[in-house]
Amino acid sequence: MKGDAYTIAFAGVLGTVCALLLTGAASFTAPYRASNAQAEEVLNILTALGVPFDQGASAQRLVDVFEQNVQERERGDLTVYAYVPEGDQGQPQAFAVRFSGPGLWGPIEGFLALEPDMRTIRAVTFYHQEETPGLGGEISASWFREQFVGKSVVDATGEPGITIGGAAGPNSVNAITGATMTCDKLEAILDGVLQKLVEETNG
Amino acid sequence: MADKNAASCATCASPKKKGPCGGKGMLTLKDGVWGINPLAIQVLGICSALAVTNRVETSLVMGAALIFVTVGSNLLVSLLRNYTPHRIRMIAEVAIIATFVILFDQFLKAFYWDLSKQLGPYVGLIITNCIVMGRAEAFALQNPPILSMVDGLANGLGYAAILAIIGFWRELLGTGKVFGLTVLSDHWYAPNQLMVLAPGAFFMLGAVIALFNAIRGPQEEEDKK
Repeated sequence: MKGDAYTIAFAGVLGTVCALLLTGAASFTAPYRASNAQAEEVLNILTALGVPFDQGASAQRLVDVFEQNVQERERGDLTVYAYVPEGDQGQPQAFAVRFSGPGLWGPIEGFLALEPDMRTIRAVTFYHQEETPGLGGEISASWFREQFVGKSVVDATGEPGITIGGAAGPNSVNAITGATMTCDKLEAILDGVLQKLVEETNG
Repeated sequence: MADKNAASCATCASPKKKGPCGGKGMLTLKDGVWGINPLAIQVLGICSALAVTNRVETSLVMGAALIFVTVGSNLLVSLLRNYTPHRIRMIAEVAIIATFVILFDQFLKAFYWDLSKQLGPYVGLIITNCIVMGRAEAFALQNPPILSMVDGLANGLGYAAILAIIGFWRELLGTGKVFGLTVLSDHWYAPNQLMVLAPGAFFMLGAVIALFNAIRGPQEEEDKK
């Protein structure tokens, strides 16, 4: 009915118009998306470190709180976030490191916060996980995460790592029934980051 | 019953009423929401309906997204219907639909970050939603722009309404809350976690479809075919 040239021209014009629209929208929203992503990141670190901030604070406010209270320090290939309360130039009150690795269905990402001695766990938080809801997904539940508080990052013989499930010990927490694979994978992720951390802070 | 009467009247009524839709606006609107409701009657697009309906809020946002996309894409497909080469019409439809979907997704990511996170990939997946493509193919290609917009709105509303119903019951029974506010106190109500998980959506959708069919009666289903 209509020629090939017309078909190609139509496709070209339609494609160009759509592409221009999307490019316009993407560049218009880019700064908003970037600041949302940054606020999200900062929120995760502040939560892990236990830095007080207002619930529902704006993205800019969160970044301000972060910059006033948290210092980033490079330890080998680990980035350690230190919580030094504003105006207090003394010792950091807490440290946090990011951990990430494969879970059962998708990546597990979170922060591990430590007391100033770098050997006692202060908190474990997750900001991304896709484990089975109700089973592996329970790693995000407070009952599971609270078990880590106060645990040592080394076992009785000084070997770094954490044990999920198994005999009670200074570095062991209860596993989740029905989520053995998630627990094993989480244990491997945490062991990896603790290994590095203990090596770096021994030296 | 009502549907059948309306259908036979559509042609005779149009010369009398000369609205922007040629008198077919109300019928089209009613069809989308009730007569050929995309979810309850045609059972299209249930993938997203199952995925995002564990809370009312996400259900409503998803409904709004679909309304935006069906209205926008139906309008554009209809405006271009006489210029679109027949051979590449489906590719053209997908390009138009994808543009609207990505616009909405970007808007959510910029201004409603939390909602965007909760909806995850499902806003982007509207591109593949059969309802949108179906309306563009079945309606917008044959009808004028304003009427096509009404059709898009009607189908979007039909989808959104079912999502809201499913979302309401799943959130209520699954968590005891509605819009995050506690309705059923956990002192005497034990939340049924099944409703929050995917199977709960199947049960709810099944119940809604059964209800629709019970109200409409079985006869019309056969008439349509």
